[in-house]
Amino acid sequence: MNSAVIEVLAPRYGIAWYPWAVQYFFMIAVSYSALLLTVPGLLLGKKNYQPLAKVALLVTVSCTLVGPVALLADLHQPLRFWHFYANLTPWSWMSIGSLLLPVYLLLVVAYAWLAWRPAMQEQAQGEGWIAKLSGWISLGQWHAPRWMLVVSGLGALLFSLGIMIYTGAEVAIVKARPLWDTLWLPVMFALTGLVAAAGLVILINRLMTGNDEDVNEQSLKVVFVSMVLSALVAALWISEGITGFSPSVEQALVSLQGNPEWRAVAIYGLLVGIALTLSTIVMLRRPGWLGRSWIAGLLAVHIGWTFRWMVLMEVQTVAKNTAGYYHYAIEAGSSGLLGIIGTFGLWLAALLIIDILVPWKKGLPTSPH
Amino acid sequence: MDKIRRALLGQIAKLTAGAALVPLSSVASAAINDQPPRREGDPEKRYAMLIDLRACIGCQACTVSCHIENEAPLGNFRTIVSQYEVEHEETGDSATFMLPRLCNHCENPPCVPVCPVQATFQRQDGIVVVDNEVCVGCAYCVQACPYDARFINEHTQTADKCTFCAHRLDVGLLPACVESCVGGARIIGDLHDPDSQISRMMKEHYSELMVLKPEMGTAPHVFYLGMDERFVSRPDAKPAIWDVRDQQGEEIGYEFSGH
Repeated sequence: MNSAVIEVLAPRYGIAWYPWAVQYFFMIAVSYSALLLTVPGLLLGKKNYQPLAKVALLVTVSCTLVGPVALLADLHQPLRFWHFYANLTPWSWMSIGSLLLPVYLLLVVAYAWLAWRPAMQEQAQGEGWIAKLSGWISLGQWHAPRWMLVVSGLGALLFSLGIMIYTGAEVAIVKARPLWDTLWLPVMFALTGLVAAAGLVILINRLMTGNDEDVNEQSLKVVFVSMVLSALVAALWISEGITGFSPSVEQALVSLQGNPEWRAVAIYGLLVGIALTLSTIVMLRRPGWLGRSWIAGLLAVHIGWTFRWMVLMEVQTVAKNTAGYYHYAIEAGSSGLLGIIGTFGLWLAALLIIDILVPWKKGLPTSPH
Repeated sequence: MDKIRRALLGQIAKLTAGAALVPLSSVASAAINDQPPRREGDPEKRYAMLIDLRACIGCQACTVSCHIENEAPLGNFRTIVSQYEVEHEETGDSATFMLPRLCNHCENPPCVPVCPVQATFQRQDGIVVVDNEVCVGCAYCVQACPYDARFINEHTQTADKCTFCAHRLDVGLLPACVESCVGGARIIGDLHDPDSQISRMMKEHYSELMVLKPEMGTAPHVFYLGMDERFVSRPDAKPAIWDVRDQQGEEIGYEFSGH
């Protein structure tokens, strides 16, 4: 029997995770990805990667500090955060995350502190309040052996892997949302995180230092490889759905069929992805174009953020039981637009405070070329 | 959806209603996202609900009485009756279908293991509850429920859901929705008691019972009699009316979608 069904009165359910969640997932992914970019220069001591490591370290630290604030804000009872530690729940991914996150944050801060300390100690020799503060922050003039940096760096890397796994698993285990319930999602989070982190490194390199061409080139390569891998993963994900190999992905595609908005988003994503990948090729191939890498940087950050917006916000508008899609209009208040702007504002503040206090760009070219 | 797939889905739905009755014996705390041990409640009992859709007239008396009993904020529902208008595409004949929805108090509730602070838990009598003094309002359980049975209560800023009116059951009263049901469509009771009305009806109608979204593997404990398999999962339907509210939750009118 063919029949047309109308749901007479469909209740409208609000979204349960606010844009704060997008901000957290974005910041923390940029954090663990940028941390990876510091490895060759800072941890392995490769000379030609040291400028990249310097910029990437700033990105890592600023995002690691601000991300958890956004996460806290996404709780409807933020002052009850201590319940996480009073009721340890090893079978919940979110609870595991609540243990990993503070340790990761401390290790990143220790790693950066050790990396910046020699320059801070030198700065402490000077006059004025910044010198005084530098002296306090560097905790004296004693020499920190290199193994301390290596140990904290390796520790941060280990915990960043934990963050990568928990943020992905937390979302991917939710069977109730077929669009989340795929193992490809954690992989995509990590790859688009790398894209965004390398993009942000390019932007900081353009805005705060001398637009070092080596940094641009190395970051563009990271963007290019991550984009190619993302395309591969997206293709695999979709083919899994088309062939019905994964019932969850198939269900996800069915639940989106015939929705023009989602189709438009898919096409837009494809176009921006192609544009970014092509622009990285052009900038890497054409001599003299490396200085304009910031265009690719902007696109890369846009892709990393928008991917999370689509996955975390728009997927919540796909109804689980009722007909149609819920309408989500971003609110102006702190659970909406103000929250997004506020997080970026806080990040900017963190960036500037570090920039004022820490001579992080020591050894980088300062004048744009 | 074509006939064969629909029939298959129907079979799965019926089979899984049966599987829902087999208790998960090994629900001890173990790996990540496994069910933690149950606590509180009477271990001798297993509460469940049977909804006889043949007796439901869609009057929403359950929706209203639940709202009054449990003081859910305006626009949020612990239970609601979905109302569908079904039109035969060839003959043009139309019929209505009523589907009361509430928490399914699943045997394998996906909302429980995700909770990072153990605020939401399953009692030994099968009822899934939230301790809203522990709940941090992370809304992870809201995401994890395949039935949209949970919401964040804007007054308490914590997760809220149907409790089978546990506070009433514990003192020998019926849940508000059951008590107010005009047609007597909602039957609640103890599955461990072979003489309870629900046990007898489950036995009598065993092969006809269906549960919602059996493919989610949640083993729901709200069983439907007189169910149409096309409504077991998210129905292929068009929404007719969305209620429109302003920021204060005041109803400001209706918006009709184009049909």
